[in-house]
Amino acid sequence: MASQLHSRVRRLARRRHVVTILALAGLAATFGLMLGLRATETLGTVAFAPWVGLIGFDAGVLAGVLTAAAATGLWLLASSHEGTHASTVQILVRIAYLGMLGVGTAVAGRRLHAGEREHRSFAALQSALIDATLDGICLTDREGNLLILNAPLRRLSLELGLPLVGTVPEQLLSIAHRMVDPERYRRRMTELAESTGESTSDEFELAGTGRVFRGFTAPVSDASGGFAGRIWTLREVTADRELDRMRDAFVATVSHELRTPLTSISGFLEMMEDEEEGLGETGRTYLDVIRRSTDRLHHLVEDLLLIAQIEAQRVELEYATVDLAELAQVCIDAFRPTAGEKDVKLELVSDRPSPISGDRRRLTQVLDNLVSNAVKFTEEGGKVTVTVAADGDSTTCVVADTGIGIPSDEQGQIFSRFFRASTATQRAIPGTGLGLAISRALVEQHGGTISLESREDKGTRVTMTLPTQHPEEGIHAAAG
Amino acid sequence: MMPRVLILEPHDDVRMFLECSMRRLGYEPVAPTDCSPGAVDAVVLEPSWTHGRTILEQLGDAVPPVVCLSIFPREAGLAPPESVAYLTKPSSLQELAAALRGALRPLIP
Repeated sequence: MASQLHSRVRRLARRRHVVTILALAGLAATFGLMLGLRATETLGTVAFAPWVGLIGFDAGVLAGVLTAAAATGLWLLASSHEGTHASTVQILVRIAYLGMLGVGTAVAGRRLHAGEREHRSFAALQSALIDATLDGICLTDREGNLLILNAPLRRLSLELGLPLVGTVPEQLLSIAHRMVDPERYRRRMTELAESTGESTSDEFELAGTGRVFRGFTAPVSDASGGFAGRIWTLREVTADRELDRMRDAFVATVSHELRTPLTSISGFLEMMEDEEEGLGETGRTYLDVIRRSTDRLHHLVEDLLLIAQIEAQRVELEYATVDLAELAQVCIDAFRPTAGEKDVKLELVSDRPSPISGDRRRLTQVLDNLVSNAVKFTEEGGKVTVTVAADGDSTTCVVADTGIGIPSDEQGQIFSRFFRASTATQRAIPGTGLGLAISRALVEQHGGTISLESREDKGTRVTMTLPTQHPEEGIHAAAG
Repeated sequence: MMPRVLILEPHDDVRMFLECSMRRLGYEPVAPTDCSPGAVDAVVLEPSWTHGRTILEQLGDAVPPVVCLSIFPREAGLAPPESVAYLTKPSSLQELAAALRGALRPLIP
């Protein structure tokens, strides 16, 4: 089917050549006659020149030379028929003129054809390359019309039941009803269809199939830097998500099961503490070690369970009036002994902003994580400063330290769960890589933001901004 | 007479800890094998233990107040209707004592 189409296109192209040659020859003959040339002159040299040039260009040196010879022969024949005899010089001039035309255009044609072949070969390689990727890829113009579509995306489009008519955003919108959250999907696609500058990616799940896809789109610029269209990629991530689900389920199961031995360890430890007086110094040291280790294990289990709850969106906040400065003071007092052991100064700077609406327990947890990290990663003689200040409709809390810092290329991942900075692992500073992930999730659930700036060996500064008023309270107040 | 507390916990070590705790708090721990309807004043239950739930059901209408001590959070929805307190493991002796005091309050004149 494809080869038939190809040969038809080639035939049409050849016909176009013939039409062009005839038109040029006719034009040349007309000009020749208008300039007062004789019919033999016009026919043999002027009208044949386009034939010689184009045949040489298209079919090569031999064809060009043969056409030139035929043209010269025809001119000689016509001259003889007319009764005029060309001189040797005239014959040689015409042979030279037509021969050079045939050979010259043939050489130019060969070069151009070689370039074209190279271009076709490169285009075929590019096409093979984008067809060989695992991702579905397509390119659309400014209006969203399809320009390039690779083989994996063609296959995925069939599987997803995309209609393949209309613009790409229209095609994507037409399958919104098949998604797990059609409204969110529709909203995102509409935003994308209207956007020219945004580069974004998102995941969506096909309802009833469990199949999850990650789509990515970015604007493409033309040579002058203007918006030329978009590139779209689509990848099935069902297996990745299934792996995530299995990992989360495993972590949750293990964490729950760890609570059983922790109950007996911490319970008997508590009972032994009542009899601590009867233990010798060595016994008391051992008991201290067991106590510290049990506390760490307890915190680890709680963090693992909380991150699992966060992932499953099962954490509910209990809103109350919270004085962030007071919370920070309590937190600082709790960490002062640990900081003192390392000779790290710990101080609070606050202009006593108004209380905010938040979950006291969860915000305490966030502050504990941030201050704990700051103290843990600050070396002897360093300083940790917690600043709480009003900032318009928000309250900002900054935890700054003069510690070991985080390499700049790792800062983008620092809020990911289980991620630990190389500066911490190299120094064997204990941790789970959960504190910042939990903190970010809890702050965002409060409608706030959290960010980090850090310089290796200089220090880290974490800024948390929380709205003074709970978003829903704001809505109620506005409505009231 | 010491209040009697039925301990429904599947793990030996935790059960042993709970028995010791009960004695320390001034209660008499009761094992499932020694239990008869109407003979216990409170129950400490691991609600995720199916066999423990069966024993609880066998107490019929005479089910006393139940203190849940679980590896799962309250949100898991495991607490039986008779539950008066829900603690997540590991809980401190003080938390357990407070929960049991609350459960046994009706008995204290």
